[in-house]
Amino acid sequence: MIKIEDLNVRFGDRNILTDINIEIEDGKWTCLVGPNGAGKTTLLKSLLGSQPYSGSITDSGVEVFRNHDRNVAFVPQQPQIPIGMSVSEYVMLGRSKRDGWGNESNKSRNLVTDILQLTGLFGMQRQLVSQLSGGEMQRALIARALVQEPTLILLDEPTSALDLHHQIAVLNNIEILKERGVTIISTMHDITLAAMYAEKIVVMHQGRVLLNGTSDFVIHSPELKTAFENRINVFTLDSGRPVIVAKKDLTN
Amino acid sequence: MKILKSKGTESVLAPIWNWKITAFAASLLFFVGITAISFGPVSLSFTEIIKTLFGLPGGLTGQDRTLLIDLRLPRALLAALVGAALATSGAVYQTVFRNPLADPYLLGAAAGAGLGATIALTSAGANLYSLLPIFAFFGAILAVLVSFFISGKFFAEPNSLLLSGIAVGSFATAVQTYLQQRNSSSLRPVYSWILGELTVANWQVVTWSSIYILIALTILITVSKQLDGLMLTDEEAYSLGINPNKLRVIAVVAATLATATAVSASGLIGFVGIVVPHLVRGITHRVTNRGLLTIALVGASFLVLADLGARTLLSPAELPIGVITAFVGAPFFLVVLRKKRLVTQ
Repeated sequence: MIKIEDLNVRFGDRNILTDINIEIEDGKWTCLVGPNGAGKTTLLKSLLGSQPYSGSITDSGVEVFRNHDRNVAFVPQQPQIPIGMSVSEYVMLGRSKRDGWGNESNKSRNLVTDILQLTGLFGMQRQLVSQLSGGEMQRALIARALVQEPTLILLDEPTSALDLHHQIAVLNNIEILKERGVTIISTMHDITLAAMYAEKIVVMHQGRVLLNGTSDFVIHSPELKTAFENRINVFTLDSGRPVIVAKKDLTN
Repeated sequence: MKILKSKGTESVLAPIWNWKITAFAASLLFFVGITAISFGPVSLSFTEIIKTLFGLPGGLTGQDRTLLIDLRLPRALLAALVGAALATSGAVYQTVFRNPLADPYLLGAAAGAGLGATIALTSAGANLYSLLPIFAFFGAILAVLVSFFISGKFFAEPNSLLLSGIAVGSFATAVQTYLQQRNSSSLRPVYSWILGELTVANWQVVTWSSIYILIALTILITVSKQLDGLMLTDEEAYSLGINPNKLRVIAVVAATLATATAVSASGLIGFVGIVVPHLVRGITHRVTNRGLLTIALVGASFLVLADLGARTLLSPAELPIGVITAFVGAPFFLVVLRKKRLVTQ
């Protein structure tokens, strides 16, 4: 269980996150949604432990800030792509914390081989990461997170750079992780997709949590429109599944 | 938590670094070193050099021994130290600044050292020539410290340090040029120092520079495996167990110490810091910093060879070693660049 209590993050005199109080269940997929600038990425970095904050975030009762004993994988929205590094080297970086930097074990090499197969990157292991397409790069990032064997994985907009087909492929990969008992917290722009995959949705607006609950509850809540400043429409398909689309008219 | 069981498939992945390459680079340095000190106006025999160095019977005696011990050996050692320092610092800067074109002089170290040297050479009245290395050393360190200071928060953003380094460098160069214009007699010695020279090599210089350079290289090679994490975003590095800010400070401080020492011992020898790291990466097809020791060894061999050229090509006159490194290094580098596509975007 991850418990966030009275979380505040300030950059200079700007409040990025204000009075956040939520609980995140282990083994579930929680999705942070909200417009740009809502503080989703900052919340993700705070959960990672690399972002200084006031208040408290505890993971299984332990404060997360600068706690290097945790094994948390982080998939950034815009990865820094190392020039000249091969796919297998890149994925192998995920083993660094477990094996100690620079000492990959045989077990790790076998695991990386397996994961490359699982993510469909096998055969490309000698290619340079800088030559991968957007979808392949995203899979390489997921592969690196998988070999980390984390208890928690944080993903910042894992689908934003992808076409529809690859979005589903990546989300299915993340679902495999969840089935293995990993807690998943991701940010996502697309609420419809978020509702399709995540069990819990946290809606953020201007650094605050507006809504927090099961996907069904959140997506049918009238307050959802407030978060997006009334610029969305919610339709319900025949199957009962809701679809959220932006309004064409931006004047409200 | 264990989430996946390996199916026991035999791994087909190539090892990330093959230590045989490092061993090869070490033997290359040994061979190149012995060859370099055997050449010169007086040739020394290969076997006699080895016997002398290892204290075996049948070594060199008399003048030949003095020539070897007091002249050629310290000079080759200094070349090796400087080459290793520049190549390693270059490789580290390239990783830290995520920029394949970064070189050891990037943060104002070169301009600061140049200004220090110019002050030593132009100071009226006192003859500070013998203090030139000290002036150059502190000039380099000071310039980098000012760059750090101006860039504000330590490495909140590597690019801000890079920009302040460029500004500090330009400022120091301006002051240096002004001083040179005021003391035109200093132009020639400053110019020849800027092109790099190893003629001052003696055991004293070798001793003090080896202390600083070996300390810096030991630090860098110790953290070298973790440096790969700095090629990623800070959050990714953090999630892989690295404190990116701390690691960057350690790496830059150590690389600057090595660079400042190299510059003060031998002047500004260009190109080694860019050519050697890319050469090693290109030939081995590996960008990992686990190759840092190999880069150091190849840098040492490269400069020992360049110095051999500087001593012998126009003998008895000497060519500035910086001319050799660029004249030989640039075309060689371009060939490798073309063939191996080192910097593939």
